Amino acid sequence: MERPPVKTYLHVDMDAFFVSVEELFDPSLKGKPVVVGGRANERGVVSAASYAARKYGIHSAMPLRTAYQRCPHAIFVEGHRERYTEYSRKVYDILCRFSPRVSMASIDEAYVDLEGTRKLHGPAFQAAHRLHETIRAETRLNCSIGIASSRLVAKIASDQAKPNGVLWVLPGTEVRFLAPLDVRKIPGVGKVTEQNLRAVGVRKVGDLARLDEGFLASKFGKWGLALAGKALGLDAGGWFDGEVGEAHDPKSVSHEHTFREDTADLAGLQATLLRLSEKVARRLRDHSLFTRTVQIKIRYSDFSTFTRARTLDHATHLDTEIAAAAKELFGANWTGQPVRLIGVYAQGLEHSEGQMSLLEEEKTRRWRDAMSAVDRIRDRFGESSVSLARSLQADYHERVHENPENLPGKEPRGKEPGGKS
Amino acid sequence: MEFTVNKSDLVRELGLSQGVVEKKTTIPILSNVLLEAAGDSVVLTATDLESGIRVSCPAKVKKPGSGTIPAKKLLDYVRLLPDSDVQVKVQENHWATLVCGRSRTRIAGMSRESYPDLPAMPEKLAEIPAGLLVGMIQRTIFAISAEESRFTLNGALMILKKDAITMVATDGHRLAMTESKIDLAGVTGNYRALLPRKAMAELLKLSAEAGADAIVEFAGDDNHLFFRIGDRLLLSRKLTGNFPDFERVLPKDQPHAITLNRDELRSAIERVSQFSDERSRAIRVLISPGEMKVYSSVSDTGESEENLPVQYDGPKTEIGFNAQYLVDFLRAVPQDTVGLHFKDPNSAGEMRPGGETEAVYRYVIMPMRI
Repeated sequence: MERPPVKTYLHVDMDAFFVSVEELFDPSLKGKPVVVGGRANERGVVSAASYAARKYGIHSAMPLRTAYQRCPHAIFVEGHRERYTEYSRKVYDILCRFSPRVSMASIDEAYVDLEGTRKLHGPAFQAAHRLHETIRAETRLNCSIGIASSRLVAKIASDQAKPNGVLWVLPGTEVRFLAPLDVRKIPGVGKVTEQNLRAVGVRKVGDLARLDEGFLASKFGKWGLALAGKALGLDAGGWFDGEVGEAHDPKSVSHEHTFREDTADLAGLQATLLRLSEKVARRLRDHSLFTRTVQIKIRYSDFSTFTRARTLDHATHLDTEIAAAAKELFGANWTGQPVRLIGVYAQGLEHSEGQMSLLEEEKTRRWRDAMSAVDRIRDRFGESSVSLARSLQADYHERVHENPENLPGKEPRGKEPGGKS
Repeated sequence: MEFTVNKSDLVRELGLSQGVVEKKTTIPILSNVLLEAAGDSVVLTATDLESGIRVSCPAKVKKPGSGTIPAKKLLDYVRLLPDSDVQVKVQENHWATLVCGRSRTRIAGMSRESYPDLPAMPEKLAEIPAGLLVGMIQRTIFAISAEESRFTLNGALMILKKDAITMVATDGHRLAMTESKIDLAGVTGNYRALLPRKAMAELLKLSAEAGADAIVEFAGDDNHLFFRIGDRLLLSRKLTGNFPDFERVLPKDQPHAITLNRDELRSAIERVSQFSDERSRAIRVLISPGEMKVYSSVSDTGESEENLPVQYDGPKTEIGFNAQYLVDFLRAVPQDTVGLHFKDPNSAGEMRPGGETEAVYRYVIMPMRI
């Protein structure tokens, strides 16, 4: 059998991205334990921690209050979403100069497929080195780069290269490279899988690679098969479906909000739903998509969580229509108890509006015109420059999160055929 | 209470009342049918509080009285009995005993005390031939919205004038309007009411049983509509709310029209729609001089196309439609030819029966953007 040609992928991961961006704006933060995500006494989680803060055991997704307990003298900053988006876009633009095939995996990491770039940038290691230098020169930010024949190994390699390093795993040496690493280094292996693997005597990736594929499949099903492949350094499992740089339509679009304090204030909750609906609608329009199913999520103080969905009789990407469905769902399902988190989801996404309304076509057309004008204003002056009046009542506090909208590479805005003009 | 009825009489009347019986069991008594024996008949009443029905069948009443029995269980059982007389006896403890030939059954009933009273029918407003009413319902009922949240669209608007009845239904995407000439001397001005879909469906059943020549006596009070056909009475709560201004939606300016054979068009659409998106049911029609093309494609399944000859010399126009909406009309329209009137891909299209017709029938369909 003929072997498929060896691919070369880079995984570019920005070093302590949020913190590094903050340091650009406030150099006094340099070298200090910095926590991005909110104030120390606030509800919410750590979005990012500087290397100095990580020494105290602080990591992202940890509750802010826990971070404060671990390191009371850390500097807590709210974070500036627009700054991260701006720098992420700068990095994306640089990556696009190195290869046409770039996928942002999140705001601070990307995969680059180097196929066909050899003439322009030379061998992989040289290209990676130049990329590393260019990012540093143009953004003053450090990153780490993994080079490998699969995205999985490239990602693990960039992690091993941190901070500020470049690591090339030569084709054919993937298994040897992975073998001594903890299984937790494999993306997707969390606490639960780790425990389950320990139960069968697996601690290192090498232990995993020695296990029979059939045994893993019988033990963990499809995930077991994917694990077997991952242990050999292959891009196994649904995560790696599709090629780097292919435009993917999202399967759903959602926004959630965690309140600073649990609230049972109906007006405030409704205003927040409206604000979330606006954001969902905006993203749908950015993707030139329409939703048919609106879902809400309500999480109460005791963490009990409910989702309720409603399928509309037509597809929409208008704030008002998504908000109306969300509000109706909320009205019909809220118990009146204090709410910790609410979310709005758009599912059943379609490429065309489909059925036009007989009774409300005129109204729909006016809203559509209005929203496209609003989108242009928001493009220029920021997301919060225009809002539906009622949503202004929301105690809404823009939080940074891993996968914000407007992420370059993730968001094929204006690129798809028939997109916004 | 004790009486004897013919099995097939009882099955027929229980069958007619079955559609009204409450399906949900939130109020247990509403799953029961109320039986009232007096004189030489037994009266059966069923209601779900939204609609109600009262029917009767001849009976030999030995001991007048009343009682309630689970409606579905009663019908399911009686249907299985041989075709002869059934003796029904309801005791003080609400248990009913049914004896038929060698069969003997006891069914647990409930006290009639808690059974709701149906409102009394006020003075009749109009007499409408059942056949005419059935035709109007069949031409509109399919356009009623299935979305419960759009409650004003969960029925049809009925307008009675001294010389005509109009019925209109819409789900917000298409609208069916029909008007029949009739002499209704008793009606002054415009009598408007929103008739729920369920009542329309029950009316179709009652009319089918009574025959097209039967007369429907119609009346209404503040909250209810009443239809009496012979000894059978159907009543329904009116839908509340404002029905959309349908006249505003009826297209006034449609420069283009083609005439098509109903069955050919219907077959073509049904075949082509096999290759339309299952959820949206979107198909396209391309009307060009001399020819109408109906076609659809699902990117990963296949595509299908049909050509129909038409007399047309206007501009080439391509419009997307929900295939189901077109077929609904083609199933309901009695005439062999139909007219398709249109303007452009973003304006409502309209279908009408071809040729001269007694009743006005207009069907307005909003296109799809595909």
